[in-house]
Amino acid sequence: MNANDFKSDLKPVWCPGCGDFAVLNSVYRALAAAGCAPHETVLVSGIGCSSRLPGYVETYGFNSLHGRALPIAIGAKVASPRMTVVAVGGDGDGLAIGGNHFMHAARRNVDIAYIMMDNEIYGLTKGQAGPTTPTGDKTKSTTYGNPDPAIDPCALAISLGASWVARGFSGDVKGTTELMTRAIRHHGFAFLNILSPCVTWRGEEQHKELRAKTRAIPADHDVTSREAALRFTGEHDVLTTGVLYEVARPTLLDELAQIERRARGSAPPPTRDQILQLFQMR
Amino acid sequence: MRDIAHMENAITFSIVGSGGDGAVVAGDLIAMACAARGLHVMKTEAYGPQIRGGESSSTVRISSAPLVAPAESNDALVVFRFADFARFRSEMALSPDCVVFHEPNDPPPAELAALRCIAVPFGELAREKNMVAIGILGAMFDIPGDEIRAAIKKRFRKKGETVIEANLKAFGVGQAFQPASLGRRLESLRYTGTPHLLMSGNEAAAFGALHAGCTFFAGYPITPSSEILHFLSDWLPRIGGACVQTEDELAAIGAVVGASFAGAKAMTATSGPGLSLMAEMLGLSSIAEIPSVIVDVQRGGPSTGIPTKSEQSDLFHALYASHGDTPRVVLACCDVEDAFHTTVDAFNIAEEYQLPVIVLSDQLIGQRRETVDAASLVHDVVQRRIALPVDEYKRYAYTEDGVSPMTIPGIEHGMYQTNGLEHDELGRPSSMYVVHEQMNDKRHRKLDAIADRYRLFRRFGAEHPELGILCWGSSAGTVREAVERMNGMGASVAAFVPRILAPLPASELQAFVDQCERILVVELSHAAQFHRYLRSEIDLPRGRTAVLARSGGKTLTVSEVMAAAVEKVMA
Repeated sequence: MNANDFKSDLKPVWCPGCGDFAVLNSVYRALAAAGCAPHETVLVSGIGCSSRLPGYVETYGFNSLHGRALPIAIGAKVASPRMTVVAVGGDGDGLAIGGNHFMHAARRNVDIAYIMMDNEIYGLTKGQAGPTTPTGDKTKSTTYGNPDPAIDPCALAISLGASWVARGFSGDVKGTTELMTRAIRHHGFAFLNILSPCVTWRGEEQHKELRAKTRAIPADHDVTSREAALRFTGEHDVLTTGVLYEVARPTLLDELAQIERRARGSAPPPTRDQILQLFQMR
Repeated sequence: MRDIAHMENAITFSIVGSGGDGAVVAGDLIAMACAARGLHVMKTEAYGPQIRGGESSSTVRISSAPLVAPAESNDALVVFRFADFARFRSEMALSPDCVVFHEPNDPPPAELAALRCIAVPFGELAREKNMVAIGILGAMFDIPGDEIRAAIKKRFRKKGETVIEANLKAFGVGQAFQPASLGRRLESLRYTGTPHLLMSGNEAAAFGALHAGCTFFAGYPITPSSEILHFLSDWLPRIGGACVQTEDELAAIGAVVGASFAGAKAMTATSGPGLSLMAEMLGLSSIAEIPSVIVDVQRGGPSTGIPTKSEQSDLFHALYASHGDTPRVVLACCDVEDAFHTTVDAFNIAEEYQLPVIVLSDQLIGQRRETVDAASLVHDVVQRRIALPVDEYKRYAYTEDGVSPMTIPGIEHGMYQTNGLEHDELGRPSSMYVVHEQMNDKRHRKLDAIADRYRLFRRFGAEHPELGILCWGSSAGTVREAVERMNGMGASVAAFVPRILAPLPASELQAFVDQCERILVVELSHAAQFHRYLRSEIDLPRGRTAVLARSGGKTLTVSEVMAAAVEKVMA
């Protein structure tokens, strides 16, 4: 498989210059690089500009409800563990309306990759402040400035117990592709936050600013240290890209397999009569 | 029609106490003993709002004939504390010859003075005062002592010999205490010796899910449905399935939709508040045409309402929840055994027609335990038809019955995009009117096909009735007993109980209504949701239709139905 095999014939609805085009490009390349078969890959998204992405990829795709990509992805992965399941969406989708699911997907260490395209704004609804919009920013819904502090999605993911956390910038297709490939291959919940500028509602400036702030994570960073990883979150003047945190721990599927062994041992599945014995009073 | 139990050939007693008194365990043990001997039993419980230590009551109804309805009034009552009894008084009827057993230092209130009240020093006789109580009740009603002893051993098996011995001893003390010739002994109790199963409606629904081939369950704990989660948490891993307790009901139904998309037969169970949270995902399951099964074990509403008591007020929500034109199927079970069949039907319909199916149960069915014949727990199972496309694949192809070929991830030429957005035959988003109209039409055609295939209803009573009663769900049993009693008294009454509420078996229902001189609608919804729904779907005769609609929180009784028939209809 090469990247082109993952391209669908549907034309993206995104604005010219949107960072998500570059992310989409990385998705094609990363799926190919990770050795995924299109028919054994499931892309699940919520609602928002970036959540349109599954439609542009030739795999099984599910463009679902605002904030609900993760529960659907978890159900699909548990029901069909052979599939590569990738959830995608925006910062509002994943951190505001879907925030609760983010917490639990991370702690359960579900074996999926979650790619968040973070543009610091609500784009599809035309320019309201989102959970990653900086404090003070004037948007359509924050006329006199945003009163709320921004969430750092990577800090959140690390503290919630995600076993793989990275940050990328859509302007760096090569770097993002590498991160995405690793996210897909990671055994467990892999969270990749990609800064993906919104030219329409954040202007050209956002793109330039992000590019200027971006720097690669130091080569000697200890990815297994939570403390070290958290030093690269909540930064203001720089934006460190790369793998911030990576540890190995059992996934939800590992745990469910354990439960199956505990429940049944080596016995064959119970028959109907064996189950009904529970209700026999003699 | 086989004989059913009624007031004259059934006995009922209640045990009321505080937490720790063991009122519920006592009821369980007698129910177990009766089921083992082939008697029919129905056991209900009621609780105060406390998590531990509050008032609780257990009511057991026993007969040699099949029981279709919960108890009408008590023949015996054990009260460990009248302060607890007061909390249940408005929900508990006592027959005129009811015998009341109570502690000597806790005299009965004046209103019970007319009854035969017997002081028993339960607490003095044994620490296990509930065992003393069943010793007395067992002897009073001729329930075989060896069977109760066997039930005690079974129930306390895990607690060890010492506990079993202490309980058996207390039971013996109760048997010995028995005053001679007490109350009415039931000459008609016939022990067939063929043991019945004893199960709850929630257990029956969960077993139905396993029978139907469910391999994925996701749920969030909520009273009174949690036993379904408990049962499947125990059994699904043993059959190679998975049970996931999610962070909320939004995630529960989301995971079900995801698992079903990936090919699993999947279900969630909840109560009203959870169904409210699931409304949006119901629409997704409908427009994306992904099978899903949702069991709603109703409780008192709205909002948090009365979590521990039954009501039939989620009907509108089940029928209409979710914005937009959202085809779904709503089934309603009538009793414990029916919870099994209805759940299997729900899977069969969801899998074949690719839409959400809601099963409406309620606390009265879900949490009561009743005897069920193992041989009746069989039901044909429909498997999902999985498409294996070779060339261009249209997931949402327009078809005659509205059902389009469905693939699942892993099938090589079956890739498609699914969508909560309106979409074309390929699943690509579309905001064009013509696509929307055609797709709405396609999705709704499935309901016509289902209405044609699944004419699920019960009809009982007179062949040419003067009075026709319309009801649904857990009211059906009580209405059936009332119908039989009224017909036994020379009246001409019949009842029609749809087991599929959407799409309604409208032609059969209309034919029944047209056959009757007068109509009585019976339901436990203060706002008369069922009556309003019927009015929107069929023609009810003007001026000849009466409604018995009241809040839940108290079980519907036979005499209540009969009184409504006389006062509101015959008058």
